Amino acid sequence: MTNRDHPTPQEGPNGANGHSEGRDRRLTEEEFERYSRQMIVPGVGREGQLRLIYSRVLIIGAGGLGCPAAQYVAGAGVGTIGIIDGDVVEISNLHRQVGHATSRLGMKKVGSLIAHLRDINPLPTYVPYTVPITPSNAADIISNYDLVMDCTDNPATRYLISDICVLLCKPLVSAASVQKSGQLIVLNCPPTPQGRIDGKYAPCYRCCFKKPPPPSSMVSCGEAGIVGPVVGLMGVAQAGEAIKILISSLHLPPSTPPSSTPPPDTENQNLIQPTLLIYTYDLSSGIGPYSFRALKMSPRKKTCFACGEDSPSRLTLEGIKSGTPNYEQFCSLPTPKHNLPAEERITASAYNEKRQKGEIGAHVLIDTREKEHFSFGSIDGAVNVPFGRLLMKAAEIKRGGGDGKGVLPEGVDGKSESEDVPIFVVCRRGLDSQEAVEKLKELGVDKGGKRRIMDIVGGMKAWKEEVDPSFPFV
Amino acid sequence: MTTPRPPKGHFNVLYFASAGSFTSKNVEALPAPLPLSKLFETLEERYKGIKESVLDNSLVTVNLTYVNMPEGEDDEANGDEPVIIQEGDEVAIIPPVSSG
Repeated sequence: MTNRDHPTPQEGPNGANGHSEGRDRRLTEEEFERYSRQMIVPGVGREGQLRLIYSRVLIIGAGGLGCPAAQYVAGAGVGTIGIIDGDVVEISNLHRQVGHATSRLGMKKVGSLIAHLRDINPLPTYVPYTVPITPSNAADIISNYDLVMDCTDNPATRYLISDICVLLCKPLVSAASVQKSGQLIVLNCPPTPQGRIDGKYAPCYRCCFKKPPPPSSMVSCGEAGIVGPVVGLMGVAQAGEAIKILISSLHLPPSTPPSSTPPPDTENQNLIQPTLLIYTYDLSSGIGPYSFRALKMSPRKKTCFACGEDSPSRLTLEGIKSGTPNYEQFCSLPTPKHNLPAEERITASAYNEKRQKGEIGAHVLIDTREKEHFSFGSIDGAVNVPFGRLLMKAAEIKRGGGDGKGVLPEGVDGKSESEDVPIFVVCRRGLDSQEAVEKLKELGVDKGGKRRIMDIVGGMKAWKEEVDPSFPFV
Repeated sequence: MTTPRPPKGHFNVLYFASAGSFTSKNVEALPAPLPLSKLFETLEERYKGIKESVLDNSLVTVNLTYVNMPEGEDDEANGDEPVIIQEGDEVAIIPPVSSG
């Protein structure tokens, strides 16, 4: 292990950097035994195994996807495996990030995962990158590899990685997962030079998802939660795709031969139907106990910003390095801002104080967190109205043209004695509650201003920080 | 798959990831036929705000195949024929997922 920022994989003892010499060699006795069970599978053989041994794979992200992906990539004997991640192992990672361990809490994830991988297979060269991937280091790192696996956790990085892979002609095996669903897609494979649109070529990430979702709708595993096997399955599937690509040499760019020989992809025998795999795991079994869907995707889009017509004029390696496009900005564009006027807001500590002193009196306290969050604990007397349900009810009422009656559960609203008592709204971190206040007013629950509806600033997070440090906030 | 068959004269819409959280549904049946170009409008009527926060960045499939959402430039550029969603079709709304 090294702690330099940019180790290069060329240092590997197995000579994985070259493209030809020594590639057609005998397997060592250990290799033969270690890989025998996969080599005898039709389509792999000694040749396929040697291709794996002489391949270099970069795994970006050593978390819920990266851990299972890396285990199988390492086990299969890929010769050089680079792993990038800037984070350290936390206890809340361990239910799904199977490459880490309780004994390695606090350690850099990259080091922890490599320790685990060496235990599985000491033969590959492992290249640690303990910094996050950024526009300034991405191309330098990625250029050392044959194939990239996107195991990251945010949209800005996903667009960055895809763009670099387009520019450097690297296939990208991309997966993502949150809560109860996962996605997997092989992009840019076989790789085709940027801007070529004279045939059907593999799509990039931007061909599939042109625009990032608004940040307000993006939830992380930390916020929405994640079921271990769901993300694990996607990571394992990613490894499967990567191994397949390397064994069939699909990662090799069509270039190099002199211009007289047409690149193989123009003959079309190489264009593989791009497929997006969707896995939905439903705890409530509304749609079925489990479901996979394989969706046929379109080839490269002529209008794609990164790989379509004239794309070389918009997207270059130099540009990315110097900050164009700006990925952070691209992914944090217009988010509906909530800025309720001060008189409609109260801090968690002020609410608590006034409540203790009896200055607030009879009121309704609505907690808009999801019921799972609510189940761990709530402020005394709070009524749970999950935000999603509230929005849906609100939309229903709007469609039906009714008034705000029924938007809040019975017993909270509509009882004559509680009709005009003020309503306080609290959520997890203070955003949904503001929108909820606005919605309730829109629906006339505030009786044209006669009934006060207040937002508790900063949600239950603030409550924990300001009022009750022992509150079980997730 | 145990998705219920859509009733006569309807098609199914499947809501994945954040589309499912926004609508609080996994699947629902809508009246067919419906031009694909009217799909977002129809959903926006039912779920105010869904277009901006979910649909505009989702990909859409009809019968397991990606379709270009008619937006103007894209479809003209790609020379796509207007798509009509038919009775019994299965439409899926697939927002990008980023976490991992």
